[in-house]
Amino acid sequence: MKIIVAIKQVPERDAPIRIAASGKWIEEADLQFAMNEPDAYALEEALQLKEKHGGEVIVVSAGPERVATTIREALAKGADRALHVVCDDLADRDALGVANLLAAAIRPENPDLVLTGLQSEDVGLGQTGVILAELLGLPHSTLILQVEKTDGGIKVKRELEAGWFQTIEMPTPAVLTIQSGGNKLRYATLMGIKKARSKELRTLNAADLAASARAVVTLEQISLPKKQKSTQILPGTGKEAATALVEKLKFEVRVL
Amino acid sequence: MMSQPWTLAEPSHFSSAEQILFAVLAILSLALFWRRFSPILRRILASKKDADFHLAPVGKRIRDFVWEVALQGKVIRQRPLPGLAHAFVFWAFCAFAVVTLNHCAALYGAGFLDPHSPVGIAYFYFAAIFALACAAGIFGLFIRRFVIRPKWLEPFSPESGVIAGLIFLLMVTYLAAFFVQPDGVAGRALWWVHALTLLAFLPIIPHTKHLHLVLSPFTVFLSRGGFSKIPPLQGDEDFGLVAGKDLTQLASLQAYSCVECGRCTEHCPANNTGKLLNPKQVILGVRAYLNEYGPQSEEALLGKHNSQKAIFECTTCGACEFQCPVGIEHLPIVIGMRRGAVNTGEWEDEHGAKLFLALERGSNALGISATERDKFIAKNALPFYDGTQEYLLWLGCMGAYDPKGREIVLSLVRVMRYLNVSFGVLRKEKCSGDPVRRLGNDLVFQQLAEANLEALAQANTRKIISICPHCVRTIQEDWKEFGTPPPVEHHSEFLARYASQLPSVPNQEKIVYHDPCYLGRYRDVYDEPRAVVAHAGQLVEAERHRERSFCCGAGGGLVFLGEETGERVSHARARELTATGADVVGAACPFCNTMFQDALAAQGPNAPRLLDIAQLAARGLPETEAGSVK
Ligand SMILES: Cc1cc2nc3c(=O)[nH]c(=O)nc-3n(C[C@H](O)[C@H](O)[C@H](O)COP(=O)(O)OP(=O)(O)OC[C@H]3O[C@@H](n4cnc5c(N)ncnc54)[C@H](O)[C@@H]3O)c2cc1C
Ligand code: SF4
Ligand code: SF4
Repeated sequence: MKIIVAIKQVPERDAPIRIAASGKWIEEADLQFAMNEPDAYALEEALQLKEKHGGEVIVVSAGPERVATTIREALAKGADRALHVVCDDLADRDALGVANLLAAAIRPENPDLVLTGLQSEDVGLGQTGVILAELLGLPHSTLILQVEKTDGGIKVKRELEAGWFQTIEMPTPAVLTIQSGGNKLRYATLMGIKKARSKELRTLNAADLAASARAVVTLEQISLPKKQKSTQILPGTGKEAATALVEKLKFEVRVL
Repeated sequence: MMSQPWTLAEPSHFSSAEQILFAVLAILSLALFWRRFSPILRRILASKKDADFHLAPVGKRIRDFVWEVALQGKVIRQRPLPGLAHAFVFWAFCAFAVVTLNHCAALYGAGFLDPHSPVGIAYFYFAAIFALACAAGIFGLFIRRFVIRPKWLEPFSPESGVIAGLIFLLMVTYLAAFFVQPDGVAGRALWWVHALTLLAFLPIIPHTKHLHLVLSPFTVFLSRGGFSKIPPLQGDEDFGLVAGKDLTQLASLQAYSCVECGRCTEHCPANNTGKLLNPKQVILGVRAYLNEYGPQSEEALLGKHNSQKAIFECTTCGACEFQCPVGIEHLPIVIGMRRGAVNTGEWEDEHGAKLFLALERGSNALGISATERDKFIAKNALPFYDGTQEYLLWLGCMGAYDPKGREIVLSLVRVMRYLNVSFGVLRKEKCSGDPVRRLGNDLVFQQLAEANLEALAQANTRKIISICPHCVRTIQEDWKEFGTPPPVEHHSEFLARYASQLPSVPNQEKIVYHDPCYLGRYRDVYDEPRAVVAHAGQLVEAERHRERSFCCGAGGGLVFLGEETGERVSHARARELTATGADVVGAACPFCNTMFQDALAAQGPNAPRLLDIAQLAARGLPETEAGSVK
């Protein structure tokens, strides 16, 4: 199976986020970057499929120079080779603009399977994988926890709401957006890092790909979430208040 | 010629038949010895070179050699009675070397010690005293091994009995020669029995644990030169101890030197609480591997002769390495095999992978957001280090994120503020890398060490103080592979210096001090924390203390690895601490602290309370507004 995994580099979770002067993106200067978590699960799924059925795992990532470190990490964990779509206007592109880049890079490879993360940890649109499928003209399925190879294609397990799952069979080639938590992630190893050095990392120039950057969605402004604390007194007898509290914990806060 | 009573009987002449017979037998004996010994020597020499080995400082090597080999200091100190018995056997062997040479030389009329000359008489009497002591010693050791049979001397070894018999015979034939005529039948017979025993003894040496007679003086002299010294990886193909080709000459020499005394296993916390790990078997496993596959083999080390499960049960407490009388260094081997398994991705463990991933992406071993550390610093108004303060206060993962660890840090802060000692913390600090170092993840360890070294250099750090013995050791020793760490000290060392300036505590509770492995055996700091404890109450000792202290179970990254098989190490230790009847357990390590919280609670309502020495030191201080946690 030839599997392509789309991996995005996002700010590290602990990173102190500051809004840039433009008000449209964050200050990237002193940020640390890491691999988008659902993409790490997509990579893990691809590696496990390869280990079971053979084939090749190719990583594709669009972004500036710095993205190379995340690509190396993916190669170190076991991907066979990588495509780096070099572009500096990532923050200006909407999901369609990014999917256009990825589709142009992926198309010549003719993969059996394209895996993306469900959504990115920075903008969280959850759109890129689905649009990519449309651009490649492939069937897709979202929120995938497990992939199994069948005779004619694949069987996938989707996460639904409230602890429900759905299993569907679909043909390949296909695009899947992978949800976090379906597998156990592997750790990076020294041997992997050393092997990664000799693996192929091909850079593609965004300008050469004839991928339109025209945005259909424009970003107006971003802001940090406001901290809110509000206190609510639950009226009634002790029993009534307790019942109301349980209701709230169950259906509003959803911790029960 | 009539011999005087009480001189050694030595036949005055031998026939040429006797001379030829002895020569043939001696050559045979030596040949047999060499036939068995040379393959071993070849396997040791054909092992990989120890790239990081330096003979300097030779002075220390000579001191260790004199203490451990010549004086048998370690053997006696760790097991006084059997140790003394062994020492007498050893000293007798040394004294006997001259006697034996003379014994053989006499056959060819070249004896250099005349049994009737004053020098001869003096020397033979001198050797006789040792022969007596040795015979008694070997008899005692025989009784111990075959009648008392302590569990760490398993498995039963009949050849030890044969050896004991031969040594006993050597001594008895020597002593008996004082009571017979030199040229009588008895004198000649004794001479021959003595000589034949010697010739029989020689070929047995190489394939029994008595090989240590030949190898251990070298093993002790050629130690790696540091406790739990982890060698740097060499080149792109070195991932630790993966296969035989990775075993170094020192590792192979040590594997063949093991005398199977079981001291390491006797003191191993893992083995004592029902785990698979047995440090003696780890070493013998390496030996068995070398015997089967040889030093250049590609066959995995973790497999037939050593188990991955056992290797990852080690707390790296160092009791084994500390105890070993023949200079075997277990930790470079145990950690080396872990490196081999982790650096190649062979080791699959849910908790281990979680820890590694947390440290690949995040800053701390607990997997908590670094903003929690920022909040803790802000809330307690801890100043940032700017190069002007005396100490850089290293928080460590426990001090920055763990509630108990934070209490310890804040107690130390109170003391430092009271003493007007200036300090500051780093803006961004990452895990020192201790758990990944001990678990063998060189990739993450290097990343952490380098990031921290850079942050410390940028802050112009002059001196570090830390509440965590694991951080102290890792910063001071293990980071050296990647740069020059600033000097670092444990808070016990600081507190001991200032103890006299702290207000004393009127309440004289009984406090039992628990030696953390990484402070005691790893750093040789025993007295300082005791001075702090003595200042705060009445110091009492647990049965096992100082060099012999028993691990809390947290080290070697195990605190992050989830369930233990068998009894929990921390519970075994907590029981021992409770048995002292102390009111308080004084700890000096945040990991010990976290292990003992649960373990002491399980000891019932009379369990002692648990306090770090920083909290003990701060007890007498006036209350201040500082000291709130979270
Ligand atoms: C990336 C992502 C993140 C999410 N995060 C959250 C979250 O944080 N919290 C949370 O609670 N949920 C979350 N969800 C779940 C999400 O709220 C629901 O999936 C979503 O609300 C369902 O809307 P849909 O348009 O996708 O529904 P679909 O079921 O696809 O429906 C589409 C629309 O088609 C029309 N339609 C469909 N069927 C019929 C019909 N039979 N008759 C007439 N009209 C019909 C309706 O207009 C319907 O609104 C998330 C989902 C995604 C993909
Ligand atoms: S270091 Fe401690 S736990 Fe590990 S083998 Fe040695 S004695 Fe046992
Ligand atoms: S390794 Fe050392 S302590 Fe352990 S059995 Fe061998 S000689 Fe004894």
